[in-house]
Amino acid sequence: MPMPDILLEVRQLEVVYHRVATAIQGVSLDVESGSIVALVGTNGAGKTTTLRAISGFLQSEDAEITDGEIRFAGERINGRRPHELARAGIILVPEREKVFATLTVKENLQFAAREGGAMTLEGVLDYFPALAHRQGQLAGYLSGGEKQMLAIGMALLCRPTLLLIDELSLGLAPIVIRQLMEQLARVSRDLGFTVLLVEQNANAALAVSHYGYVMEGGRIVFSGKASELISHPDVREFYLGGAREAESKSYREIKQYRRKRRWWG
Amino acid sequence: MEFAATVVILTCTYALLAAGVVILYKAARVVNFAHGELAIVGGYVFYSASVLGSDSLWLAIAGALVFSIIMGVTIYMSMLRRLVGEPLHVTILITIGIGIVLKSAILIIWRAERLTIDVGVAPALRLSGGASLSYMDLASVAVTVLFFLALYLFLTFTRMGIQFRGTAENALLASQRGVNVDFVLALAWIIAVIAASLSGVFFGSRAFLSTESVTIGLAGLIAALVGGLDSLRGAVAGAFIVAGTQYLTVRLIDPVLSETVPFLLLLLVMSIRPWGLFGTLEELDRV
Amino acid sequence: MSRNPYTLRTSYLEGNEVLRRPYQKVLVGLILAVALVVPTAASTYFVHLLDLCLLSAIGALGLMLLTGYCGQISLGHAAFLAVGAYTTVILNTHVGAPFTIVVPAAALFGGLLGFIVGLPSLRFRGVYLAISTLAMHYAIIFLATKYQAEFGPSATAGMTIPDPSFGSFVLSGDRPWYYFLLAVVTLTTVGCMNLVRTRPGRAWMAIRDRDIAAQALGINLARYKLLAFVISSMLASISGSLLAYFSNVVTVEKYTLDLAIVYLAMIIVGGMGSILGALLGAIFITLLPFGIDALFGYLPRSWRFGSTLFGVQAGAVGICIIFFLLFEPKGLAEIWCRLETYFERWPFRYRPLDTARR
Repeated sequence: MPMPDILLEVRQLEVVYHRVATAIQGVSLDVESGSIVALVGTNGAGKTTTLRAISGFLQSEDAEITDGEIRFAGERINGRRPHELARAGIILVPEREKVFATLTVKENLQFAAREGGAMTLEGVLDYFPALAHRQGQLAGYLSGGEKQMLAIGMALLCRPTLLLIDELSLGLAPIVIRQLMEQLARVSRDLGFTVLLVEQNANAALAVSHYGYVMEGGRIVFSGKASELISHPDVREFYLGGAREAESKSYREIKQYRRKRRWWG
Repeated sequence: MEFAATVVILTCTYALLAAGVVILYKAARVVNFAHGELAIVGGYVFYSASVLGSDSLWLAIAGALVFSIIMGVTIYMSMLRRLVGEPLHVTILITIGIGIVLKSAILIIWRAERLTIDVGVAPALRLSGGASLSYMDLASVAVTVLFFLALYLFLTFTRMGIQFRGTAENALLASQRGVNVDFVLALAWIIAVIAASLSGVFFGSRAFLSTESVTIGLAGLIAALVGGLDSLRGAVAGAFIVAGTQYLTVRLIDPVLSETVPFLLLLLVMSIRPWGLFGTLEELDRV
Repeated sequence: MSRNPYTLRTSYLEGNEVLRRPYQKVLVGLILAVALVVPTAASTYFVHLLDLCLLSAIGALGLMLLTGYCGQISLGHAAFLAVGAYTTVILNTHVGAPFTIVVPAAALFGGLLGFIVGLPSLRFRGVYLAISTLAMHYAIIFLATKYQAEFGPSATAGMTIPDPSFGSFVLSGDRPWYYFLLAVVTLTTVGCMNLVRTRPGRAWMAIRDRDIAAQALGINLARYKLLAFVISSMLASISGSLLAYFSNVVTVEKYTLDLAIVYLAMIIVGGMGSILGALLGAIFITLLPFGIDALFGYLPRSWRFGSTLFGVQAGAVGICIIFFLLFEPKGLAEIWCRLETYFERWPFRYRPLDTARR
């Protein structure tokens, strides 16, 4: 019986690509309703795969959930099709190709708009004034930050209950990242939806989120309140750039080493 | 005058075919080599339905319409849907395969008879210079204009039209925004096959239906390429150019060249403006 | 023969070996032996069919290099067969050149035209290239039609060619042709196999898989694309020339777009990117209409309309294309590999990881 305030519940998830390559193993995570949760980790840690599994995109990648389950609002959603999940309120902002480049900004927003949502087209333009000036332009000609705003704006119009954002910070300047993150936190507070941020830029993501998970090699190796994670020495060392390059090892190796040391006293 | 009448009607036939090619390319990234076959089979179905329904025009239209819808959905759901994400040449080859099967269906079902559709071919309008236009000719012009107008309004102003264009660009993102991509793509196929059937009917009433007349599909494809593979405006322009050139060649130079000359025209266009008259340059890299 | 994807290789050199296992050598020897003995036992009709298979195998090998290895779709293969045939006709009727000069000349001329037809490939990809080869097809066929109308006895009857002769020996009859063609096909196969496992083949495959990356690796795109076109059209032209000699008659009606598609069907059914596939596909697609014809013999007489038979024969090719593209995209060659692996591993089984479906 899931707790009522847990919106998304991932249990012991295992995903296999092309029937041979296991990308993630035994991943479990909870996303509390109304919170912002960050999922951080380096390249190849399995963050994007987890996200794809949640948003139902695995089939088009020739991957399969081989074990575990995903529950959304208490309902099992493994293997549902992407547009069904989208209508149920799980909205993904993908890593790249996140806007329709051949449609204008306004058409992009119209594409996503649903009747009866808390957000209106005008509301989006209020949140992101930069878009308002560019309504008639093709989305392909926007800058990276504006594209990201448009992508988030589209997602807002889809009546999200759970917003999944893949690499918000990709290719953006640090100042733009901070602005976007803060804007996102504000919108989610105002509209009351939940956000799962998948990020390599752990600093920026943890700064705005309530809770964080750290992934490595297809597993979750750390979890905790964002404020605690950000000051945790191990997280600092391995993910926030505290370690010196030459000795940077993966966290799991160190953990094994420490465990051994404890064992031998 | 006769020149103008023939070219206009041929333009309508080709423009409808080219529109189908453009829609399929834009929505589904499929270049359909079976379009002529679909058109001619549509024409045959129209003919048979009108014969079965004792020359009822409405029954013939209904028959061709039902055929188009079933055909479009079947082709998409049973074949092209499985090939999403495959390289383009695979979809080209599979439409070639579909074309062969349809052509053999003409041989098996209609025994490759040469048929002329005669619904309202009585001359309705006499033009100076001895030419005349039948009701069917007038209807074909009117229907083509209506078809393009409706398509333009649909794509530009309705929400579904916007979703249609978005899906054409990025199906994955569209499905994430709650659009049923299968529905949109099946709809694209239905529209394309309806356009093809219409042009098959018009061609069949002006000339004749047979296994050889499937080459109009290639003319339509060329019209689409000349105009630009991703432009509906281009489809009309390309159709006019192809029809005009073809007619002039047959009249002035050599009837044997009629099949070859659209290709020569295309080679010319491709060497000067490979993305077509109204197409966009980026499309060249995609296909 | 072809690279078996189920075999573990531990060095790059192993990937280059043609017959890795002792039993493969035995198998190839056995197949050749059977191929040599067959005509003495089989009926003339059957040998005739085998001749047709061998003839189309040459053309299919050519198309396989171009489309299967270099990834350039060509709808103009029938035109190159026509080039070979018409070079043969022209050299025979106007010059009276002997067989030993005509066939190399056909190859040369075919290669030259292949170069020209290949030029658009430097600028276009995919659909645009396919359409430009189609345009070339119509242009070449138009010239052939014109030639036939001008010089032939009539526009439709076609033109006759005498049997080829080497000195006093005249090559005629299905059995002598069979041995001659078997030698030609064996040589072509060995040649193609060596082409694809050396530098040109690797370059072609790189171009097929990603042309930009291939260029970045220092592959001269223009050179290798054109090389593929030239070799492919040379082989097609040789095949067309031999077919002209074999059937003693050339008419332009034979070289339609449908014929080009039949050749594409051969390499699809056989399996893209496999020399073995080209051979298997050529045999399969060539025998298919005859097999259907034979099956039609069992049908009640009232069903046997001429147009129905033609329809089913043509439709079967289309159905084969669709079926193989959807369900067995690597073609007969892949089925062969699976069989090979099955027997090699017996009694153990190799299966892809079966993930639990739920």
